[in-house]
Parts: sequence; structure tokens; C-alpha cells
Amino acid sequence: MGALFLLVNTLALSIAIPRVTLSVWLSLAGWIGCALVGNALLIHWLPSHDRFLFPLTMILTGWSLIIIARVAPEFAERQTLWMVIAVILMLATSLIPQILQWLRGYRYTLLMMGLIFLVATILFGSHPSGVAGAPALWLNIANFYFQPSEPLKIVLVAFLASYLAEQYAVLRADQQSFGVFPSPRMFGPVLLMWGLSMVVLVWQRDLGTAALFFLVFLILLYTASGQFAILVGGSLLAIVGGIAAYLLFAVVRLRVDTWLNPWLEADGRAYQVVQSLMAFAAGGITGSGVGQGSPTYIPVVHSDFIFAALAEEWGLIGVITVLILLGVIGARGLRASVSLRPFQALLTIGLSSLLIIQSFLIIGGVLKLIPLTGVTLPFMSYGGSSLVTNFIIIGLLLRVSSQGENPRAVSARS
Amino acid sequence: MLFQREAKRLLLSFLVMFAFIALAASYWAINGQTTLLKREDNPRLVEAEAAVRRGSILDRNGVPLVISVPLNNTINGAMIRRYENPAMVSALGYYSLRYGVNGVEAAYDDLLSGRIPTADLNTAFFNDLLERPRTGTDIMVTLDTAIQERLAERMAGNIGAGIVIAVPSGQILGLVSLPTYDPNQLDAQWDALIATPGDPFFNRVLQGRYQPGGALQTPLMAAASLVDIPFDVPHENATLPLEIDGISLSCAVPLAPQALNLSEAYAYACPRPFSALAEQLGETLIDDIFDTFRLTQYPTLPGFTALATPISPTPTSTPMRSVSDPNVFEAAALGQGEIVVSPLMMALITAGIANDGNAPQPQLLYATRALGSDDQATWIYPIANTLSVPITTETTARRLQDLMRNTLVTGAAQNAARAGFDIGGHASLAYSGEETHTWFIGFVTLTGPQSIVIVIVLEQNADTQIAADIAGDVLTIAHDRLSR
Repeated sequence: MGALFLLVNTLALSIAIPRVTLSVWLSLAGWIGCALVGNALLIHWLPSHDRFLFPLTMILTGWSLIIIARVAPEFAERQTLWMVIAVILMLATSLIPQILQWLRGYRYTLLMMGLIFLVATILFGSHPSGVAGAPALWLNIANFYFQPSEPLKIVLVAFLASYLAEQYAVLRADQQSFGVFPSPRMFGPVLLMWGLSMVVLVWQRDLGTAALFFLVFLILLYTASGQFAILVGGSLLAIVGGIAAYLLFAVVRLRVDTWLNPWLEADGRAYQVVQSLMAFAAGGITGSGVGQGSPTYIPVVHSDFIFAALAEEWGLIGVITVLILLGVIGARGLRASVSLRPFQALLTIGLSSLLIIQSFLIIGGVLKLIPLTGVTLPFMSYGGSSLVTNFIIIGLLLRVSSQGENPRAVSARS
Repeated sequence: MLFQREAKRLLLSFLVMFAFIALAASYWAINGQTTLLKREDNPRLVEAEAAVRRGSILDRNGVPLVISVPLNNTINGAMIRRYENPAMVSALGYYSLRYGVNGVEAAYDDLLSGRIPTADLNTAFFNDLLERPRTGTDIMVTLDTAIQERLAERMAGNIGAGIVIAVPSGQILGLVSLPTYDPNQLDAQWDALIATPGDPFFNRVLQGRYQPGGALQTPLMAAASLVDIPFDVPHENATLPLEIDGISLSCAVPLAPQALNLSEAYAYACPRPFSALAEQLGETLIDDIFDTFRLTQYPTLPGFTALATPISPTPTSTPMRSVSDPNVFEAAALGQGEIVVSPLMMALITAGIANDGNAPQPQLLYATRALGSDDQATWIYPIANTLSVPITTETTARRLQDLMRNTLVTGAAQNAARAGFDIGGHASLAYSGEETHTWFIGFVTLTGPQSIVIVIVLEQNADTQIAADIAGDVLTIAHDRLSR
């Protein structure tokens, strides 16, 4: 059904905008190849994997390829190439039996590497557009732009899952001895992670990644400890951090101001958000039809605002469909955590939360529900680092899901 | 099982978050259609408007006057408006994405742009479903290209207004307002045009407010006729100028000092006998006759402005009712006071006289052709408002017709006379500050009750023979066109 949906939309786009015909059909061909090969390999080598995750992910990715071919055809082929790479890496991740052991065993090494990359980005970061003042979140290695904060998400989740898997029994015992108040042992890591998030925020002006790191960490700590006060305390810290960021950083102030009242600067600093909301309005319930809307009025629509482009041409029906797809992916991930050992369970919950929260942050921003944070929409926004990272997450979820279905395999491999 | 409770709570939280997103998206998708999309800074509005295949405008004989053509030969792209005949511009107005609409383009904008769908419900549904660009309705206006061209050609070089109306239908056959502009070059010339003296965008026929001057002699003669004041009593020194508020009013053509009766004074539009007539008639009677002639109701064409209402069958009061100063009263009665008139108003009064006392309602929309139809589609002729407005009696109207015919024999409007045509008219002067302008009101009869009426105003012009000559030319061609 997904393939049929994409086929019909590709055909419609070719008719509506003939100049994109070549790129959109090439993208579809690449997508079909990836979907068939990926599915065949998973069925053969990982027979007990979750049968929803890969198809749903591919539908979202295929849909995004059509949107990118429509709004920024010059990027369609490159994104298709990224998809091929991402699927290969996902397969590699999911088919390597020792992958979870490596993540756990080399957690400090991986974390150090991630932090080194992060520091390197702070020191040598740039923006692919080369525009002065644009967020310098990429590393340029031989004209190859790479965003270290993307894979760092996986490393951090794996590190925390590993750490908390060892500590969760102690944390739960602390809950009994300290009542509703978290102990220093429990709250220490929260403060540490909050500090790391603030470093990201301060040095990189990357509100989205900072918020994402912190929220996912809170969720993991809450899961491990089972203590609701963690979420309350963490939320208070987030509010304090947010207020401080608003007062200290112009970029945060801009995003909050344009969130509170974008209409004052509808043709200025809030242009992107206002045009995004207009795209939702223009799409209505059924959408204007592929190639029939005007989503390109939103600057850089193929990146952070790809959801608004989808809303304009596929309408509320498309919006709800994507939400359901993302929701099911998240739910399947959470479901996979059940009946697993602590590390796998926490890893799965962390990675699923990562996808859902990241989706919420960007879609909420695009809809003026929350301030814009500038993160990508998983599987849909243009960008290689993001796509590869999210596919690797799916690879890990597939790996874990196959273990959950086969308790013997779990015990044998762990 | 480990973390099952936490996983369930997280799942529930995520579902709530996504529900909020769905609600927000629904809000903008539904509510935004009536708020956000209407914002002036919505670029989609301009884009959608540019893609509209605006309906064509044709003259009463099907001659294309304005058509929409693709910009740069693009398919499904922006369309531009092409005005085929420069002579029609002052009647048709303009359509511009940047500067809006004017004239006929504005009056029938909803039809032309397809905002009032005329296609069948099935077609309209599929057009909407498939997001096809709107296709407007073609309209046919009552204007006649040949009459309009002749009027525009003869008035070229002047500043003023001219209008030709068919009687008793009230159909506008020609409408010229000068100075004018080229709507095909509107965007490029806008800044220069708005700085042009005389304001080319001001439609003098409909919006102009002129001192009527000698043009009010016709209602005064109607009043005299109604109370049986004889037209053949001589008035001494009838041709001498008359001073009012420091302005010297004189006959429409220079005449030696002599006595003239009312008929002769009307023929030459001499003010002095009419000053005496006004005094003789008195304020009340003049008030009544001006009210009956609707000299305080400014008519406009249906659809042209929000104030476009038919002329009321019930007269309204003139400003003269509260006049107590005799000088002010005299000035008002002689068309140099507070009463100002539009060329369309004078045309309808003249049409009322030509139509034996019943003024028609003005009409400009002749027919419409269904949305998206081909050239062979059937034209639909809307039901016109045929409610005429009685402005005087049949007897008085016929006496006025005869007076106007006589004016072309011995009077200031002799240049309008054409052999073989039954033409009547009245040429006069009016004064506005330092400027003098000429009025010509007239008619030519056709067969039966039909006739054609013309009104011409030339600003900064004191030669009534020029206006009369233009009127004579236009009336003859209009006669030929409508007699075919």
C-alpha cells in the first residue's frame, strides 16, 4: 500500500511539475530498491524482527523524497543517495549480532568520541550554506558536511541506558529510603546532563539538540528510577535554563518572541513560521494536491519545515497520517522494550523517546505550539546526518525487537 | 516485567503530545482558512489571483475588448490582461495584481474572476476538488465599439466626459472620461499616472461633480411649462451678462444686446431671462422640480460602487429648501450654487425628456457566458431593471424636445445638426472658479419610442460648438448602429 501510495503521488507530481519528473522517478526507483532489498534481508537474517518498523520508516522516507523533489528538486538525488546509505547502515546495525554488546562494552569510548566531535564542532563548526551567522552545527571534512550532534544522540542514549541499567536497582532502592525527594546519587546525573545540555546551548546556540538531550535523559532516568519527582525537578531545571537562555541569547529570544506573537513580524523575523501556518491553512483538510500548493514560500522548507509542505499539499489527512506513522513507530519501539533485560529495555525506550520527542519538538514548532527549536523531522527532513542517524536507531530497534521475540537469543547473546 | 509501568505512561504521554499536535493542525487547517488565508500578506492570494483565467469582456456585438492571456506562454501559470482597444479604456478600467481593479473590471470583478460560479454544481465541485485555477465568466457589456471609438476619437485632446445612452433601455453605448491611460502599461507607468494632472483614474462620467450652469435651464423650462408660463414673452437685454458672486455669466455664444423670449434664451443659453424666471417660479416650485429631476441623487452604474442603487422613484429634497438668501437662491437656480451634477445624472435627465418624461435606469451589463464554456456557449441575458423614473409629464417632455430641436436650428447647438437626423440638444456654459466648461445634452430619435441620448462636458472650454459638433457626429453613428 505504501508503494502504491508513493507511485500514485510520484505520477501526480510528474504530471503537475514536469521538470521534476526525472529526479522524482529516480528517487522512487531508489526507494523501491531499498525497500525490497532491506525487507528481504531482514526477513532472511532477522526473521523475528518487528514487521512494522522498517515498512513504516520507509513510507515516511519515500514520502519525504517526493516532497523534497517537489520543493527542492536539486536536493532530491542527494537525499536518495543518503537514503541508500542510511538503509545499508540500518541493515548493518540490525544484522550485526554483537552491536548491543559493543554499545554497552565501549560506552565510554563512544561517549568520548562523541564529545570530542562535539568540541570539534564548537571549535571548527560551519554551516553548509556558508551564510555568516547561521548555526555552525556541521563539521566540514573534505567538503563532506557532517553533523556530530546527530550520532551523538545515539551514543548518549546508549551510554545512559548502559549506566542506568547498572544503577537502576540502586536508584529504586534510593526511592524507598528518600521518599519523594530524589537522592544526590540520583539527582547528580540529572545536574550533569543538564550542564551538558546547557553547554550545547551556550556554545552551539542549538536549542533543539539541547532540549532533546535533556528531555530524553529525564525520561530514561525516570524509567530507571520509577520516580516521578525526577520529571518535576528536571522540568523545573529546564524552565530555569530556558529563562536564562532567553535572557542571555538573542537566538533563543528571537524564537520565543516569534512564538508568542509572530504576527508583529510576519514579513520579517517570523516570516518562516507565519508562512508555515499559512501552509496548514492553505492545505485545509484534503490538501491542495501534490505539486498544486505553494509550500516554497516557506524558506528552506525542505529542511525543518517539511511537515508544513506536507500539510499544504496533503492537508490534515496527510498530517494525521504522518502522526499515526510516527506514533506507531514510537509505540512499536516502546513495545519492544517489554520483557527485555534492563540495558535493552532502557536503550529501546530511550531511542523511541528520541524519535517521538524530536518529532514533537519540530512539528510543535512548525505549528506554533511551542517555540521553534530547529531540529529535523525524523525520516522526513532533508539532511544526511539526520537520516542516517534515525535509520541506525531503527536498526537498533529492529535488533532489539528480534531479541524480545526470542528470549533464548537474548540470554545467549547477552 | 521491567519498566512496563513507565513504558505505558510514556506511551500515554506521547499519545497526548501527538493529540495536541493534531488539534493544533486541525485548528490552523480549519480556522486558518477564514483568518490566515485572508491576510493581505498571504502570497498565495496573489499567486491564486494571477492564475485565475479571468473572463473576457466583449462589446454588445461580441467584439473582444479585454482578454486574459498566459504570461510568457506558460501553461497553468500566471495570466495577464490584454486590453484590445485603447478607446474603451475609460469605460473598462483596469485589472492589475499590484494596483487592483477599476471601472467595469471592478464592477463585475466577482463574475470576471469566477468568485460567483456560474458553472453547474458538478463542474464547480470537480474544479474545486482538483484545485483547478478559477475560471471567470465572460461578460458582454452594452458598449458599442464603433460608437465608443467615435466618441473617444472626437473628444481626444480634451479634458472632460462623454456618455451615450440608448432610450428607453438605458443601455450605455459609449462612455469616455479624459484624460485616460493605457492599462496594458499600468504597472510600468503607475507612478507617472498618479502624478498626472487631471487624474486619469477619476471616472468623470460617474464620479465627476460639475457645476451645471446653463444645463439647469432645461429643468427650469420644465417648471415653466408645468405652470403655463409663456415661452414667447420677450425679455429686454436678455443677452447681457449676469453678475453672480463676482462671476459674469453670459450666453453660450456671443450675441449683440437684444431682447429674447424664453425659447430663444434657452436656445442660446442666456442666463439673464432665467434669473427672472427663477424669481417668477419661486423657491418652492424650483425645489419641487429639481427634486423631481433627481438633481440630488447621484446615479451610478449597477455594480460600480457599493452605493450603486437604482434611482429612487421617490424624490429627495434638494439643498435649496433651506436657502433664505436670495442671491444664494439665484446662484443655485442658475446652476452656479450648491447643486453639482454628474454627466450620468444629466444623461438620465435628458433620457427622461427623450422618453416622454420617464428616465430609464442605466444598464451596462448586457450578457454573461457560463464559467469555463467555449465560444459557442449560450449567452445569458440578465433581467434588467426596467423601472423607469417619472421626472416630468409627457406634455412637458415633448415641449422640451421641441425646444431642443429648435436649439439646433437657431441656437448655440447648431453644430450638432445633421441632415436627415432628428436631433435635439442644448449647449450651455458653466463656471467653476476661474474655469469655464461647456455642457451639451442632446438626443437623436430612432423608430418608435427609441432614441439615443448624449451628454458631453468639456472642461476649460468655452466654445459650445465644439461639444455640439462632437455630439452630432456621435449621435449619427449611434443612430446608424442601432438602426441596423
